[in-house]
Amino acid sequence: MRYTEFTPYDLVLLAQGLGVTVALFLGTSLIGLAVGTLWGIVRYYRVPGLTQIITFVAELLKNSPVLVQLFLVFFGFPAFFHLDLGPVGAAVITLSANTAAFVYVIAVSAIESIGRDQIEAARVFGLSRWQVLRHVIAPQAAAFSIGPLTALLVNQLQVTSLISVIGVMDLSKIGATLNLRTLKPFVVWSVVGLLYYLAAKLVATLGARIERRLRAHTAFRGL
Amino acid sequence: MLNVEQVRKTFGTVTVLDGVNLAVKPGEVVSILGSSGSGKSTLIRCINGLERLDGGRITVDDFDVSKPRELAEARKRSGTVFQLFNLYPHMTALQNITLAPIEVLKRSRAEAEDEGRALLASVGLGDRAEAYPAQLSGGQRQRVGICRALAMRPRYLLLDEVTSALDPEMTSEVLDILAKLASGGTTMLFVTHEIEFARQISDRVVFLEKGVLLVDLPTRDFFAAGGGLAQPRVAQFLSKMRKD
Repeated sequence: MRYTEFTPYDLVLLAQGLGVTVALFLGTSLIGLAVGTLWGIVRYYRVPGLTQIITFVAELLKNSPVLVQLFLVFFGFPAFFHLDLGPVGAAVITLSANTAAFVYVIAVSAIESIGRDQIEAARVFGLSRWQVLRHVIAPQAAAFSIGPLTALLVNQLQVTSLISVIGVMDLSKIGATLNLRTLKPFVVWSVVGLLYYLAAKLVATLGARIERRLRAHTAFRGL
Repeated sequence: MLNVEQVRKTFGTVTVLDGVNLAVKPGEVVSILGSSGSGKSTLIRCINGLERLDGGRITVDDFDVSKPRELAEARKRSGTVFQLFNLYPHMTALQNITLAPIEVLKRSRAEAEDEGRALLASVGLGDRAEAYPAQLSGGQRQRVGICRALAMRPRYLLLDEVTSALDPEMTSEVLDILAKLASGGTTMLFVTHEIEFARQISDRVVFLEKGVLLVDLPTRDFFAAGGGLAQPRVAQFLSKMRKD
């Protein structure tokens, strides 16, 4: 006997799935932002060897499908390192690394967007490389990169749906489960899609708000 | 004493400075003249450590700019004003001025800001402390640039064609301030194309040509018929600049 009607409990399931998706998204975004920014700083200091390694790893992560990376981590870690991460662990590692690679690219271009002349001025007045980074480069680089970062995070939110294939009970996995039971794909996927849309819209709105604040000092540049 | 000894600088196969010697004593105002590409700006960039020397030695109060440990001390003693201002666009005029005093000299914020405001007032920008560079005219920006250098209380002020990017009106705004500083006893090394102005404020004038320091004379002798003008290149340069 097969129960094909929707029940109130399905809403709880959807909420749980949304919670898992949002939590994974926030967690991996924070890790990715931290790691990607750190990589950008390593490059700024031109740490020999390390910079090349980071660029190489970032290239690999950027230029291969997240799904493939997910499988490699999910199946590779237990096979090669005897480390069973479980679906959530594999998802966290993969998505964080992937986000970090793209954050790195944005950080590098943001740092390079700052005019050489200002940096020279700051150096001449005796500021250390770190002080230049903190006071001259970082505030402007943040304003420069917030737009691309928002776009990246909106995209990474959608990318989290891939982790359902290794069995993480995220929003997409819940959608698939409900779909199999009710056989009402248009209803189920419309609701799931709407939830993703709302979450993405929230990220975009927050990003735009932060951007306005960071760029307050450039508002008059068009004058 | 700011000492430049036998300094050589090359970019690839081009020799930009070829055995330059120059000494600036405290209180002196020395102008550097020369056509574009003669190495004037490069000399300034060597003194403040933005370019590495390929030969010779530069010391600022006995601190060797080629030694990383001494460069920091040397830089504290010289302040640079740039041709294109090089202000920090995300900071107000006041923040531009106080950044280095607070971070490098470890002055308190309140003290640095008081001094910054006083400097701005002294160049006629007392009411523009909270303005961002983009809200200021070229002449105002350069005046902020001068205040930023002065806030470090430098023993030597390095001025790299500070009026070249300004129109005549703004140029005179900036030159008035420099004249005041010169008469106030500020030591200045002044790269410029403003020949008449250089003549008025300098104690000495030097002439650079293709990386070689051709003439180094007291101002009066430099412009005298038997002095600098005896050099054909100098005479040619001066007559050409005056015509323009």
